[in-house]
Amino acid sequence: MFITLEETIELINKGKTLHIAGDEGLLDKLPRGNWIGGTTPYFISEEGGVFSKERLFVNEIDYGQETRIASYGKYNVFQIVEECYDNGLTMLLMPYGSDVARKYAKEAPEVDELLMHPVIGWITGMDLELGGQVQARVYDGTVGESYTDRAVVMYIRLPEGKSAMVNMINIFTDDKNDPVIRFFDNDLSVTKCTVDGVETNFAEYIGQKGLDPRMPLVADYNGSYINTSIMGVENGAVGFYAPVFKNIDYRFATKVSDYAGEFKKRVDEAQAKSPVFTCNCILNFNYGELNGKKLSPYVGPVTFGEVAYQLLNQTLVYCEILG
Amino acid sequence: MEAGVQKKVEQILRGELRYTSSNLALNMLISKMQKRIQADPGSMSACIDELDLFIAKYPIVAKVDLANIAAL
Repeated sequence: MFITLEETIELINKGKTLHIAGDEGLLDKLPRGNWIGGTTPYFISEEGGVFSKERLFVNEIDYGQETRIASYGKYNVFQIVEECYDNGLTMLLMPYGSDVARKYAKEAPEVDELLMHPVIGWITGMDLELGGQVQARVYDGTVGESYTDRAVVMYIRLPEGKSAMVNMINIFTDDKNDPVIRFFDNDLSVTKCTVDGVETNFAEYIGQKGLDPRMPLVADYNGSYINTSIMGVENGAVGFYAPVFKNIDYRFATKVSDYAGEFKKRVDEAQAKSPVFTCNCILNFNYGELNGKKLSPYVGPVTFGEVAYQLLNQTLVYCEILG
Repeated sequence: MEAGVQKKVEQILRGELRYTSSNLALNMLISKMQKRIQADPGSMSACIDELDLFIAKYPIVAKVDLANIAAL
């Protein structure tokens, strides 16, 4: 629900368990309570995509039997695998550009047991117009603190017979006839890669091929396509919004000529009935021209990275409670 | 895991049979295991044990996948 500061305060004071997304100016005014939050002024509300510093997007966590809130730094963020409920959902919020987000992005795919525990979340952000003037934040409402360098986590225990199903909507796919790109390390910035086994300067390759940087690299995880979006090229190095991984085959996504139309089509096909949480990438918001467009039932914050077990890019992530 | 299904799962993990689930976590797990088995074919049994654990943990979600794999 996309509501005012006063309505949000009322819910907190009633003792509701909440996930809250909004601008820093509003989140700073919230009282202590059983909530976690993160900064973004971009949303997909019930009325459509919107930029707002006057309202907050609030999810009431009324499907859990019990919840716990904790925060972690880069050295212990993977304790979430040990500290989560056996049958539950872990909601993870990390600030954009933080070391904890970088650590999680680079190492999550190799963490044992991570796929055994549903993890959903997002990278919190800021008003893009303000550039580097403000920092992304996460909030732990139980202690009344906000952080630019820590992850905030809500563990939600589900009733017996219920399961959390974390899923995504991705408009991108690959063409298996295209060259295979591989990288030498797990990294957020690269200069070299191999293209069909031949060592190549990656920035030059993008330039020579005239590839559209709005199209991410995609990797095929048994039919689920995971995107890695390109941030830009600086001093000959290509930067990404999420890391590339060694030993993974990448291809550039096949060109999507009607981004907004393709996005709408995939949303219609997904057929989730009542997701309890949704977040959608800022790149989809911008390239897909989602401002003013309705995507119900996929409503929630617009984010600077999505977490569905590992960090994803240019994706809509959602969770349903089944059973 | 029932023996017939396990045989098909082993084929999937060796890349001899293709099955894509609607469950993101299962696809990620299969992908991870395929790479592991490619690097170390002897790890098949450990992968099956891990998949059994996944199925036991999410019976509601895994029921559909097991039926689909059995029908391959």
